This record gives sequence, C-alpha cells and structure tokens, in this order.
Amino acid sequence: MGLTSARETTSGANHHIFPRWTNRLREASALMVIGGLVYAIVLLTLLFGPQSSAIGYAPEQPVPYSHALHAGDLGLDCRYCHTTVTSESHAALPPAGTCMNCHRMVRTDSEKLALVRESAATGVPVPWVRVHDLPDFVFFNHSAHVTAGVGCESCHGRVDRMEVVRQVEELTMGWCLDCHRDPDLHLRPSEAVTVMNWNAPEDPLVLGQRLRQEHDVTPSTDCSTCHR
Amino acid sequence: MSGLKGKDHGRPGYWRSLEALAGSESYRRHLDAEFLESVPETVPEVSRRRFLQVMSASIALATISGCRWPEEQIVPFGERPSGYVPGGKTHFASAFELDGIANGLLVTSQDGRPVKVEGNPQHPTSGGAADVFAQASLLGLYDPDRSRTPLRRSDGQTQPVAWKDFGTASGQWKAAIGSGRKFAVLSRTTSSPSVQLLRDELRSTYGDLEWVTYAPVFDEAGEMRAHLDLEAARIIVTLDSDLLVEHPNAVSNARQFTAGRRLDRPHMNRLYAFEPGYSATGTMADHRIPMAARDIPALLASLAAALFGGHGLQPPSGLRWLEAWRHHPTQSQTIDAITRDLLANQGHGLLVAGPRQPREVHELCQVLNQALGNTGHTVVYEESSPDPSTRPNLEALSRLVARMSSGEIEHLLILGANPVYDAPADLDFGTALEQVPNSVHLGGYDDETARACSWHLPMAHALESWDLSRAFDGTLTAVQPLIAPLYAGKTAAELLSLYADPAPRSAYQITKDTFHQLAGGTGPAPEKDAGFNERWHHFLHEGFLANSTTVPAESASGNAPRRLPGEAESPLGPENLELVLAPDRKVHDGRFANNAWLQELPDALSKLTWDNAALVAPALAEELSVSHGDVVTLGFHGREITLPVYVMPGQAHYSVSVSFGYGRTAAGRVGDGIGQNAYRLRTTERPWGGPGLTLTPTGDTYPLAITQDHHAIDERGAEERERRAGGLVRQGTLAEYREHPNFAEHLGTHHPPLVSMWSERESQGHRWGMAIDLNRCNGCNACIVACQSENNIPVVGKEQVANGREMHWLRLDRYFRGDPADPSVAQQPMACSHCELAPCEQVCPVAATLHNDEGLNVMVYNRCVGTRYCSNNCPTKVRRFNFFNYQKELTTTEKMAFNPEVTVRSRGVMEKCTFCVQRIELARIEAKNAGRAVRDGDVVPACAQTCPAGAIVFGDLNDPQSRVAQAAADQRAYAVLAELNIKPRTVYLAQIRNPNSALAAEHGGQSDAGAHGGHGAQDQGDHH
Repeated sequence: MGLTSARETTSGANHHIFPRWTNRLREASALMVIGGLVYAIVLLTLLFGPQSSAIGYAPEQPVPYSHALHAGDLGLDCRYCHTTVTSESHAALPPAGTCMNCHRMVRTDSEKLALVRESAATGVPVPWVRVHDLPDFVFFNHSAHVTAGVGCESCHGRVDRMEVVRQVEELTMGWCLDCHRDPDLHLRPSEAVTVMNWNAPEDPLVLGQRLRQEHDVTPSTDCSTCHR
Repeated sequence: MSGLKGKDHGRPGYWRSLEALAGSESYRRHLDAEFLESVPETVPEVSRRRFLQVMSASIALATISGCRWPEEQIVPFGERPSGYVPGGKTHFASAFELDGIANGLLVTSQDGRPVKVEGNPQHPTSGGAADVFAQASLLGLYDPDRSRTPLRRSDGQTQPVAWKDFGTASGQWKAAIGSGRKFAVLSRTTSSPSVQLLRDELRSTYGDLEWVTYAPVFDEAGEMRAHLDLEAARIIVTLDSDLLVEHPNAVSNARQFTAGRRLDRPHMNRLYAFEPGYSATGTMADHRIPMAARDIPALLASLAAALFGGHGLQPPSGLRWLEAWRHHPTQSQTIDAITRDLLANQGHGLLVAGPRQPREVHELCQVLNQALGNTGHTVVYEESSPDPSTRPNLEALSRLVARMSSGEIEHLLILGANPVYDAPADLDFGTALEQVPNSVHLGGYDDETARACSWHLPMAHALESWDLSRAFDGTLTAVQPLIAPLYAGKTAAELLSLYADPAPRSAYQITKDTFHQLAGGTGPAPEKDAGFNERWHHFLHEGFLANSTTVPAESASGNAPRRLPGEAESPLGPENLELVLAPDRKVHDGRFANNAWLQELPDALSKLTWDNAALVAPALAEELSVSHGDVVTLGFHGREITLPVYVMPGQAHYSVSVSFGYGRTAAGRVGDGIGQNAYRLRTTERPWGGPGLTLTPTGDTYPLAITQDHHAIDERGAEERERRAGGLVRQGTLAEYREHPNFAEHLGTHHPPLVSMWSERESQGHRWGMAIDLNRCNGCNACIVACQSENNIPVVGKEQVANGREMHWLRLDRYFRGDPADPSVAQQPMACSHCELAPCEQVCPVAATLHNDEGLNVMVYNRCVGTRYCSNNCPTKVRRFNFFNYQKELTTTEKMAFNPEVTVRSRGVMEKCTFCVQRIELARIEAKNAGRAVRDGDVVPACAQTCPAGAIVFGDLNDPQSRVAQAAADQRAYAVLAELNIKPRTVYLAQIRNPNSALAAEHGGQSDAGAHGGHGAQDQGDHH
C-alpha cells in the first residue's frame, strides 16, 4: 500500500526525476561516440600501419662494422660472410674467425676490432643486435628465396651503402604478399642475386617472367607457407 | 553395471567403453557436450599473489617493449665448428638402453640441442622406429627436476658438494676397501660392455667384491634368450606374452609380425594369444583367450600332451609326465585346433612364453619348438653368459640385503637403480640400507634411494652420455651424446673408472677403449692408428657395428622340465583372486614417472592417464558390486594397498591386473603422488603376483582421468552408434577378403548420391594424403608421442584430461566388440583427415581454418578467436582447444624440448594435426634448392616415421606411383564418414583377421560378416 501511495504522490506533484540540463547529455554522448571512433581509428592505424613498423631501425652494434666499407668499397660478396644463405633457412652471421681471416693481417691493432679479436681468441660470441626480426610465428627461409633468384637488395636494400645496417622495408605480411603475388620484378638470374644496384639487361618484367618459368618460381600465398 | 544385463551379448556390435555400452550418464555427458559444461573456467591454484605477480610482470614487459618487441641478439661462434650450420638440423646416431636392451636411435639436433628422437633406419632392430620410452626420453633430458649436483647426506643434513669432494672421499675408501669383502655394487640392468670390462677390472682388484644386478622388470627365462623371426612364423601361440609392445625387442617384433600378416603373400600368419589382461598382442590376435596367468602352465601342458599324443611327434625323454594331461579337463576345442595348426605348419610355427611365466613354461615351449621343427626357423635360442651377476637376480639381491642388514657391507655403490622404491617389499631395502655406512647412489634424480644414501651423484642422461650397449640381437650399438651434460652428470662407467682405474678416464675414452678391446685390442685405444680411427668413426656414424649380432647359428638346446609349477593350488574365485603384476605401458617400472608426456599418454587399452588402477573383469565387478573408480583394498599375502577399480573388458575372470611404476614419493614435481605403489604387494617369493588376492571395497570413490569417451563421434541412439561404428572401423576375415576383396566398401553407411553444397577445388601439384592400415596398427602409442614431440603439443594435467581437454592431435580410438567378457579390440589412429570439403572451414567466422592449394586443411593460429565452432562441426572430433596457456609455466630448460620449426600456441586458439606441414615445407624447399621435384618418401610425418608396423603411409595422391596412392587404391581402403561428403584425405585400410574356421563358432565377433550378413545379401544386386 505504501508503494502505491508514494507513486501517486510523485506523479501528482508532476516532479521531474532528472534536472533539465541532462537533456544535453544525449548530444554529448553522441559526440563522445564519434570522437572515440575517430580516436580508435587513428590509434589502430598508427599501431598497425607501416609507420609504426620498424623501417629505419638501426640499432647500435657492439662492433662498428661497416657494410659500406666491406660490401661497398671493398666489394666483398654477401656470401663470403653469410655462407649459409644459399642452402639454409638462416643467413648465419659469420663467426669471428671469418673476420680474422683478413684482420689477422689488416688493422691488427684497431680499437674497434677488439671485441672480434677477443671472440676469436676466447670463443665468447660478439653479441650482435638483430636488425631484421620477424615474429616467432613466421618461418622465413633464405635459401628458398635465393634459389628463386630474389636479390638480397629486394628485402635488405642497399646494404653496400650502409655504415650501420638498418631496416629499409616494412617486413610486414602485406609487404611479403605483394611479392609472393607478383614476384616478376624481383627476380634475377642466379649469379646476380647478391649484386647490389643491379640493373636488368633487358626489360625487367620480361626477364622476370622468363626467369619465373625457368626456375619454376611458384610463390605460394597459402598461410601454411610461412605459418606452421 | 546393471545396464549391461539388458544387452544382447551375442551381437557383435562395437563399443568404446562399458559406459558407452550401457549408455550411462557419464557417457551421455561426453556425447551431448563436446566441451563439458560446468567446468570452472579458472586456472586452478592461482593465488592472488601469483595473479598480481603475473599482472605486474606483464605490465612491466609492455612498458619496456613499447612499440617494438624486445631486442634480440645474434651470437655467432668465435670459430664455427666445421660442418655446423646455425639453425640447421644435424642427426646423430645414438641409442637408448632400457633394461639392458639398446634401441638404435637417430637424434635430431638443432642449434646444439636435441629436439627429436627417432629410430635409426639402418639399425637392425630399430629399422627407423622408436618406442614411447626412447622418444619421451627427450623430455626427460630437459626435466628441471633432474639432479644437478652431487649431494652429501649425513645426520639428516643434505649438502650440495662437488665431484672432487666425492673423489677425495672415494680415494680414502679405496685404500680401506682391501680385498673387497665389505664392498658391493648394485647395478641396474645394462648390457654396456664398458661396464662389464670395468666390473672385471674391479673384481681383479677387489677379489671378494659382490656385484648384483637388479631391475624390477626381468624375464623368468633367465639366461635363455629367444630370438624370434615373426615374419617366418605362420602360426604363433603367445602365452601371457606381449610380443608387440612389452617385449624388449617389440619394435622389431612389430615390424616382423606385420610383414607376416601381409595380404599380398600366400600365407597370412595366425596368432593365438592366451593372457590374463588385454595386451597389444591380444588386440592383434586372431583368437585371444582370456586366462589367468597361473592357468597357463596347465594349458601349455595340455597342448604339449595333444601335440605328442599320437601325431607322430616323439616326446623327449623326461616328458613322460605329460601323459597325465592327454585327457585332462583343460583339453578343449581350442587346443585341438591349435594342435592341428601347429602340426600342419611344422617349421613355421612358434610358441612363446611371456617374461612372467615360470621357467618351466619357457622350457616346455623350447622343447615344443624343437620337436615341431620351429627352432632354427622361427626361433633361435641363445644361452647368454652363465654369470648370474649380469642379470637381475632376486636371490642375489636377497643375499645382498641380508649382508647389508648384518652390517657386513660397508661400501655400497648403486648404479642407476632405485631399489628403495622398487625392490620387493619383503626385502625392506630401505632399512637394510641404513646399516651401510658409505652408500653411494648414482642416478638421474634425487629419488627415494638417493635420499637414503650418504652420497648422491647425478647420472648423465642417455643423450648426454658416451657409452656402448647391445641391442636385443646383440648388435653393438653406440650411445653418443647430443649435448654436454646439463647438470654435472657422469655415466656409470665413469664412476666405476674412479674406483677401478689408477687415473679416472672420461666416458669418451672409456667407450673408445672398450671399442678397441672388443675388437681384440688390449689397453687404451691407439691415438694415431688410422685404421682404428676410421673404424671408430664409421661405427659412430652408423651408430652400430654391422654383423656384431650374438644370435648363434646353431640354437642352444634347452632342458625338458620335470614338473609344472602351481598344479595343485586352490581354485580361483571371488575370495581367491589372482594378482597380475606387470610393468606399466607408460611409466615402465617407475623410472619415467616424472615424464609428463608419458603420464598423459592414454593407455592403449584402458585409456587411463595419470594413474594406475586395479583392472577387473566386468563379471567380477558385478560379483563384487564394484564399478569404475570405486576404491578397493587389495590384500595379498598379508600386504595391502588401496587402488581404484577399473572395469576392463577382456580381463580374465578372476585375474586382477595392477601395473607398477606409480606411487612415487621422490620422482619430481610431475610424478610424485601419482597412483599407488604396487611394489608394496611384490615379494621375492611372488614377484609377479599369483593367487591369494582379496579385493575389498572401501566405500570411497576416486576420479580416474580416462579419455575413452572423449571426442565421441556424434551418434544418434545406441542402434545408430553401433551401426556407424562398424563403418568407422571396418574388419573382415581372411576368407571374406579372399572372396570379396572390396568388402570394406560395403560396410559403410549407405547413402544417396552425394551432392556438394560447396564448390570443390582441385588440388594442382601435390595432393597430400594419408593411408592408415588398421591391419598393422597394434596400438603401441609411439605415434602419439612422436606427434607430441614434433608439434610442441602441451601437457594439460590430470584435472584437465578429466575435463576432456587433452591436447593430443593424434589419438587412438579403441573399439571393443562383442561380449564384454571376451571382446575383440580394434585400434584406430584418428587425427585430422584434412577433408576436402571440411565442415570446420564452413563455420569459422574468421577464416582461421582454410584450405591451402595442396588441399591441406590449415590452421592459422593468429586469426583464431576461439569460437570453437570448428570443433563442434568436426565430424571426427580431432580439433583441440587451448583452454589455458599451458606452455607459459614451463621452465627455460623444458622449453628447450620444443621443435623450433613449429609455433608454440597460446591460450584461446584451436589446433589440430597439420600433416606435419613443417616437414612438407622443408622437403619442398630442399627439393627446390636441389633443382628437383619432391619425391615420394621425401615427406614423412612424425607419426608415420616412427610407426614400427609401418601402418601409416603419407604422400602425394596425385602421383599414382606413390605409396599412399597405391594404398588408397587398395581394395580394403575406405573413408570414414564418407556419407557426409566430407571427402577426407586420410583413408583407412580395413583390418583382416585370420581366424581358424574350426573355432569360428567358439570365438565369434572377429569380423563384420555376422553383423552385416543380411545387409550384404540385400546389396548383392547392386555391388557384386
């Protein structure tokens, strides 16, 4: 009985529960929703867009090794150091012993080479910092790409000009797929894979198509190609 | 159990468990809900503190990582070893020794750590296959509970010490040991020639040294070893002998047995199995007769009497007593049929007794094989060293314990054994050990024995050891390390060298010296002898020494037994049951108790995980009013333990099987407190049990984690279920097969012409497929462990298994058939069959599971949002969901067991068999790099690689020459649930049994003919 009477009293007095200014809240909340959406879109774009990928990542290395000097000026072939690139999954970093092949004779007392000499002598590794770092659920195989005739330059850029190695491509899945869908422009004859600033002797598209036939290059866009 | 009574036992229907047969409530629970309801959705045992730790850690991590994942380092060698490929795979031949028998292995190493154990294809006994123990030893290597440092225990104090402290102490003892009268060595069974040479060396120094070998698992046949040729045997009679899984040479036996069962040969073998509890051999038998272990001697005597009775076979002298068995009541139609079979196949028959049968049974088998002309053809007996100290010997162990108790022994060296846990209970080894002032234990773990010794020394794992061992056939096999000892472990030979040699040698040096001495050399191996070094390196490369088998050209002759044991014992009954003690199929004698892969492996027959149980026959369960999970007290000659009951179809009526290896107290974090210790029922007088067991319900119940009803394929109603099971696992007899080779096709569900709702894609290039021959699969479980190791499959623990959340991608569906008292069993390996019209793909809202160009049904973990629709829609129930992040809690060492080629899945994603897509991709790349096409045999999934019976074949269905294409074209081939038009890429080949027509009426239920006869007749017009 008490309840009923209470309601009667309220409605009878024609009182509003909320004050009048609260009517504005409707518009305000609509604005907030729109604003939130814009914020979310901007945030997500920044998070997952190429800008936030690691292009330009060039960490300082423990030894100031210059690719520009060795691969550029001196003209060392990539495979002199990265020996496993043609046959294995990883393009392994060379052991300090490889450096010492020359540096036993050349610049034997350079400060910069102290770590390398120490590593060769003691076996304690030089702690190089990984530049091109794919997520752990991606299984990339260097040999497959080298066999197909994809130039080192296609993914790593003009390493022969880099004092400090930096990442030049996105290395995102969309970027990988671009080439897997249409590899022609990135194919070279086997002997030119490691050449920097290589220029195709003919129309690159025509050459690419021919090489694709010759080498039976059938890049797959299946998920299982890279994700297992 | 009451539900059973209403069932018509005569019908040869299929059923997966007694619950399913009876349509019990618990089975319904599994059928109706794929993911069990009312399961608490929380991580068990996560305290508030732990939660806060995890939260703060992840927040810290997020702050550090910012926009980029953590910086990674690349650490190249200072000088790279020649031939070493960073990130590449290297294979080393090695071996894993179990109870003195080595199985040759090929171990894969990646970046310096072993990641996969497989059989060595060239090794004569392995042939490329490895059993569950050898494969799971990989996880054992990385077990964080392994002992890490020598320990010194005195006055209740445990102190970590260094090896050199032990060296100092042992140096002092060596002076005090004198003639060795107070010195004893207790070694686990080993066939290492190094250990044997060092033992001789020790004996020459300490003339009175007592050397005792003990392991709980041994063969009563003693020094007489039977080398079988199952391929040559047409009629095989096994007496309580599991040749295909439990036998020390099971891997080789399985391969030979399968070869003798091939249908393209004129003779398919016939197997008669007599056994108290179901074994793998029983599942493969054409006639399996459940029989109490203690009745087997009488059965053999009856068989012998029948064979020698008027069939022209001359009984050897000394077997006159068999006359009494000519007309004994044990004579039966079965014995008559076996007699005829054996006599008709003289020279091609085989009788084998199991390790737990008394010596006389082995002797009688040997006499019969000799008389039947089988010896020399299907079996060759080898008489091994007469020195009893090289074999497990209970008498010698008892004598040693008596001397220990009386204080005679002052120095005891225990090499790899764990007698405090596994010695017979009446010896009370632990108490005797207290009387030994200097006891030294060498073992992989700080286990029960280690804790009772004054010194504990860490033992190197097989994958860390240099050693030699011998395979079952005697082949000298190399044990090579894949990694330097993780925790300061040493081998048994190294420890012995500390005592025997003036200057202790390294394990490598000992092994090399032994190899040199076995070839007739003396003294240490020469450093500079080019010829020797070449032989040595060749030996290590191959992993074994060719033609080093010890199988004699001429079989050793045996004795005719004078009497039979246990003839006049009281009859078995509910008050006088028989106890059957046996090693466990998963943890063996208990040494693998801390191995989570093995603990979670469902037993091939009981499907039990994480426990042992008292296996009782359905009829006995009814008589005693007990059922699954009821806790009972087992009383056996004054000793008792309590165990839950497991009602096991096909168990001999009054035999209760209990496996030992459980109830460990110092195994480690995984194995402690799992199951009950059956060694407490074991005595020196009755090491394998026997009559005199009582079973008393305690009134308690205990939850058993059994996987048999999990992932039940949806079946509407009991009738429908039985009918469909006949289509899932198809069987026939040899006679039916010869008459209608394509009988299997007609056993499936009949359906109208199938029309696809979906556009079908043709696979260009490769069309990967699998064929599983049910005629070969014996349920040894090796494929499941191989899959777990290859694909980083997590272990979920008992609680989650009970919730139906085990993660195995490959499971063995075990179907019983016929009368629960004497059913036949069919095993069916079941994994994702990569349906061409996969129902899972059709319901995934995020395209996380889809087809690739070659027709693989692939799972994209990063897309998966965990709706689990795919699993609901999967007709074969092969998809597994990560309810928790099972791998997160693993230690860094355990993570080293991961296969780096496969993603480690996190919580909330679905996973399933990928056909080992990582192996396909690698084979493709390798072929491309070599400029050739992928050949048949280049891609071998882990399960197919390890199968000893070769039951699994994988390859390209588009290549008509490939083995898989030919298997798929076999007339026995059929697809499971083809009526759903799912077009599975995995086909099964129907199982063929070869029953004796004279016994067909007695032991029915082996084929589908009975169930399907009417149907077949009805279809005559359409198909024949």
